[in-house]
Amino acid sequence: MGIALQLLFTGLGVGSIYALVALGFVLIYRATNVVNFAQGDFAMLGAFAMVVLCIDLGWPYWLGIVLSVIAMALIGALFNLGVYYPLRHRTFLPVIISTIGASILLENGVLAAYGPRPQSLPGVFASQGFSIGPVFFDSQYLTILAVTVVAVALQYLFFERTLLGKKLQAVSQDKEMASLLGIPVAFMIMLTFVYSATLGGLAGILVAPILFVSVQMGASIALKAFAASIIGGFGDVTGAIVGGLALGVIETFGAAYISVPYKDAFAFLVLFVFLLFRPQGIFGERVAEKA
Amino acid sequence: MSIRAFALAIAATACAFTPLTSPAADPIKIGMVAPLTGPGAESGRFQMNGAKLAIEQINKAGGVMGRPLELVVEDDQTTNPGAILAFSKLAGDATIPAFIGSIRSTQVHAMAPDILKTSKPVMIGGTDPQLTRLGNPWLFRFRPNDIYSARVIADYGVNTLKLKKWAIVHSTDAFGTNGMKNLTEALKNLGATTALVQGYTNNSQDFTPVALAVKQSGAEVMGTYMTFEPDQGIFAKQLRQLGVTVSWVGSPTTATTTAVKLAGPALYGSFAVVDFHRDSGPAAKAFAELYEAAYKSAPDIFSSWTYDAVTVLARAMNTAKSSGPEAIRKAILATRGFDGAEGTYNFDQNGDGLHGYNIVRNDNGKIVFDKHVEFKD
Repeated sequence: MGIALQLLFTGLGVGSIYALVALGFVLIYRATNVVNFAQGDFAMLGAFAMVVLCIDLGWPYWLGIVLSVIAMALIGALFNLGVYYPLRHRTFLPVIISTIGASILLENGVLAAYGPRPQSLPGVFASQGFSIGPVFFDSQYLTILAVTVVAVALQYLFFERTLLGKKLQAVSQDKEMASLLGIPVAFMIMLTFVYSATLGGLAGILVAPILFVSVQMGASIALKAFAASIIGGFGDVTGAIVGGLALGVIETFGAAYISVPYKDAFAFLVLFVFLLFRPQGIFGERVAEKA
Repeated sequence: MSIRAFALAIAATACAFTPLTSPAADPIKIGMVAPLTGPGAESGRFQMNGAKLAIEQINKAGGVMGRPLELVVEDDQTTNPGAILAFSKLAGDATIPAFIGSIRSTQVHAMAPDILKTSKPVMIGGTDPQLTRLGNPWLFRFRPNDIYSARVIADYGVNTLKLKKWAIVHSTDAFGTNGMKNLTEALKNLGATTALVQGYTNNSQDFTPVALAVKQSGAEVMGTYMTFEPDQGIFAKQLRQLGVTVSWVGSPTTATTTAVKLAGPALYGSFAVVDFHRDSGPAAKAFAELYEAAYKSAPDIFSSWTYDAVTVLARAMNTAKSSGPEAIRKAILATRGFDGAEGTYNFDQNGDGLHGYNIVRNDNGKIVFDKHVEFKD
């Protein structure tokens, strides 16, 4: 029982990282109909910003977080201007290629600037965690779970209760109609990129004390997050969160009770089953071809 | 100016420009394949520094057969095709009598057919035991191979720590799987029991299931072959968080600067096998001091083996009084009892120079030398 509870806790912790990155995927997809393959690199950039500010410059941790998040917002805006905006009237394919290009550029840029050595970052709390009975609660995983809950709640309030949120929803549903109603579509998409980059960066900052900071850290998380968002229902916010958490728990239990080397296979096996039998995911709506 | 004075002036000038120690001879070129770009670029810098340092020392002492040595480096881009390309570029230069190859076994495997075709000696650092058993007479290894790392891990755990019940944790890549096989074999030969063999894939985000498996196995000591430091750091932290206090004897990755930094206190008290440690002997210490004086940073395994490779190669050419491939080959294979930075070189007929490893201990984040374990076979 103790072991199962321990696995459940870690699974949810890992899953919430996937969920945070998957949220970024989904938001950009909803706004632009494009998958942003550089979403994982936002996590990597956020983590590196923390290393530069808190380790290299020695600034306080809280200031590092605030400045890193601001930096990520700026990067999101620049990403929108450089990678998406010039291609906005093209089909989705050139934009996807453009995000892949941006991903390669970001990873190699950081590699050239910072070198291949992984860096470590201390956790938000000095204490590593505490044990209740046989279960160890890692303070960083607890932080991640808490931040995920808060981020999801804030996001819900923002999209459902504010005018700006409703404008963003309108843009994601029908750009032409939204622009006819006087909503500045390009600005709304820019805001989506800013928010996604911030969310991705935050995921990177939170996960850095556990997974360390390296150039490749984003790519491995993003792959799982992408699978999670498909399982949850691509384009669905609740789906991204549920898919992420489910994937984290499934792979942790699969590794513990079936096979550790096949841990990654479980995630993709679940993806495979969903693509075969329920391609719209858990929460996705079935899109019927119009006659 | 009289003719006599003019002639004297010319003679004086000629004397001034003629080096006293060596005749104005052409340098002997040594080809080197090293990663100058790509993910291994940092290790490439260390490898080049080691080789350059050795050449500096050799040239200061009069060179090889009175001729200075010169290093010609080609970039392998940290890839196998890059290594093949770099080697064939160097092999195209007929004036190069010998080469420094790669520290990565996979690259040496990739270059091996071309090396056989070129038929000139290549010094390598890759530790896959198979490399010197391919029937390729031109490969000479300057690091102990992985059979020895497994034997030393087993020997230290069983005979020095007196622990008999083992868990083996390994990456499922070629390095980790071979290490696991060699360690299982070595433990069986020493009569120890293996309670758990647990593989994992590289770049895992979570090691809770592995840590719990080690805990449940009831092992007293754990031998590991983990390829990447971040994996090892995550595993070490989670293992200690879950209250597993098993003794740990790891492969060289467990004691790298990066691993020690990433894992922090979670690796305190662990042991590891390493081929280079500055306190393992006077030659290692002398090399470390030279390196620090030249580059203002501490050397590591990437630089020590190339330093030894160039030194042993130069020594072989001086002994053979020839830069012919067959003469160099025979002279390297005849090298016995030569103290290098990595240990004492006693070449066997396969081309393996070293037959033992150092055991080091993580003493509150500082890697200290514990002992050297040498095998005669």
